[in-house]
Amino acid sequence: MSKLEVKNLHVAVMDEEDKGQPQQKEILKGVNLTINTGEIHAVMGPNGTGKSTLSQAIMGNPAYKVTEGDVLLDGKSLLKLPVDERARAGLFLAMQYPAEIAGITNVEFMRAAINARRPENDQIPVMDFMKLLDKNLALLDMSDDIVERYLNEGFSGGEKKRNEILQLMMIQPKFAILDEIDSGLDIDALKVVSKGVNALRGPEFGSLIITHYQRLLNYIIPDAVHIMMDGQIVESGGPDLAKKLEAEGYTGLRNDLGLDVKLTDEI
Amino acid sequence: METTKAEIELKPAVSAFSAAHDEPAWLRDLRLKMLEQYPKLALPKFDKISYKKWPLTAATKPVVQESAASALADLSLDRANAKNVLVMLGQTVIKAKLDPELAAKGVIFTDIFTAVREHPELVKRYFMTTAVKADANRLTAFHAAFLNGGAFLYVPKNVVIKDAIQSYYIQDSTRDQDFVHHVLVVADENSEVTYSENYATVGDKPNLANVIAEVIGKANSHIHFSAVDQLAQNTTGYVSRQGRLAEDARVDWAVGAMNDGHAIVDFNTDLIGRGSHAEVKVVAVTTGEQLQGINTHVTNIGKHTIGHILQHGVILENSALIFNGVGHIVKGAQGSDAQQESRVLMLSTHARGDANPILLIDENDVTAGHAASVGRVDESQMYYLMSRGIDKKMAERLVIRGFLGNVLTEIPAKEVRQQLTATIERKLENGQKSE
Repeated sequence: MSKLEVKNLHVAVMDEEDKGQPQQKEILKGVNLTINTGEIHAVMGPNGTGKSTLSQAIMGNPAYKVTEGDVLLDGKSLLKLPVDERARAGLFLAMQYPAEIAGITNVEFMRAAINARRPENDQIPVMDFMKLLDKNLALLDMSDDIVERYLNEGFSGGEKKRNEILQLMMIQPKFAILDEIDSGLDIDALKVVSKGVNALRGPEFGSLIITHYQRLLNYIIPDAVHIMMDGQIVESGGPDLAKKLEAEGYTGLRNDLGLDVKLTDEI
Repeated sequence: METTKAEIELKPAVSAFSAAHDEPAWLRDLRLKMLEQYPKLALPKFDKISYKKWPLTAATKPVVQESAASALADLSLDRANAKNVLVMLGQTVIKAKLDPELAAKGVIFTDIFTAVREHPELVKRYFMTTAVKADANRLTAFHAAFLNGGAFLYVPKNVVIKDAIQSYYIQDSTRDQDFVHHVLVVADENSEVTYSENYATVGDKPNLANVIAEVIGKANSHIHFSAVDQLAQNTTGYVSRQGRLAEDARVDWAVGAMNDGHAIVDFNTDLIGRGSHAEVKVVAVTTGEQLQGINTHVTNIGKHTIGHILQHGVILENSALIFNGVGHIVKGAQGSDAQQESRVLMLSTHARGDANPILLIDENDVTAGHAASVGRVDESQMYYLMSRGIDKKMAERLVIRGFLGNVLTEIPAKEVRQQLTATIERKLENGQKSE
């Protein structure tokens, strides 16, 4: 079993809107979270509350600066590791906006990603790779030609999201963070994406699902739900918490909790 | 004007060199005339490429020299087993093979000195008379005077050659000796040929290389010309490829400028005949302290001619890469098309790069366009690749491969693509060592 711990995490970004001296702006203000393999956690929250910042900071995006706290995998701090080492240690981030890279085929990329985790003298045999790929393509209802296309280039929003899940299934990390994987997906695509994540469920896999909407959690039933507001987790519970949120809305929940937090979507 | 020092010192050696190869009088006379002229002629000008101080005209005394084939042991001439192949090391022919069926059809593929002896009229007609003139500039004149190796390929009328004609020209820098190499390709009417050439160096003496390839495409001929240039770090190179096309002729240039030393790689294609067509695809990688200046020029002269230039290059370490793209449509070339795209990717903050598009349009009824950019590796692309566990160097290589792949995928011949890809990988690995 593996354990991913986020301890009192404070994260700042450089505020570029300020025309003068760039200011550090604190986004996360002390987040605590523990996920074990075998568990799926959902982090929900209104827009602008730091959900994506949490995912990027765990993964190690250099644009996000950890000012306090720690991120640990099996007790070892990840903060000094660059993003590629964190990935090889077992983290995966399905991104909200995956980069497009012309000239590199999807298949070439995925093989490079898998082989990066293996010693040079034990690279994945082509046949094994193709078998795994075919199986996952079928499960995600994706056509073969997508693997020969350039990485995300010209992909529709839905294709990009599916492609993130395809990579997730090929790489099989210990922990997957899914950052708004449901945004912009129609119900059929949502079902397919959920099927992919559910297929990975098991004692060796843990996931942190970041979403604005409860809808996704009808298809991927989480073990725990955390509500985030203004850079902190304000409430944690079981799957019912998501349903309660759906009924009351973020504003209702905030008022229930008696929080003095401004929600960006509020008019 | 007084007799130049070069002429006095080198005239006997040039004459002796010519005599040793049993050259006809016209070639000997051309050599001597150019020997006299070259110091007085101007160096060719290439926009933004400054090379005046390069040792490109400091001639060594021409001597007939044999090179030992054993020097090639370290080079992998993987495709040297092809049906039609010429391998030269310095002045020495190591291997020359031409499919007897092609020879029976009148195809000629031989080293330049054999060609001059056995087909003097044919060579005389085209050698530095049509695609480029010997007295065009100091470097071409130098070339004619000190020519010491090369090849001749002739494809007769209506002959279509399916198997590629392959050549490996290896500069012998185990000793001090200029490498002055001439390739003459003549494709007669309605013929088609695929020719590929590979330049490399053995040894590490500082020498100059002066290479000129002339491609003459007669009416309705089609020449697929590919080249991989890998001259060594201690070689200062001038590599010029000159094409001249008649009616409906077409040339597809596909070139990898992968030299390790200072080099000028110069392409010039004149679209003379109506409907003639040139596609120029160039990929370049620069490393170390080198400068590669790529000057690609297509001139639309005939009506309805098409000239397309696509060049992508990557700069590593402290090196510099300059892409000039010149599309020139002259008055009277109605219905012509000149397009070009030059892009440079910089991987190091110490690198210098330039993509310099020049369109010269003297006719109204034409289409023309250009795109050019110089940029750095996209950080969001790097982050994405690395977030999948790929380390920084591999991620960089993937981004570069993708960037150059935009040109490579446009090259029709799979073999050429694969070979270029392998060469690029070698050069990138070298270039990343210091990082």
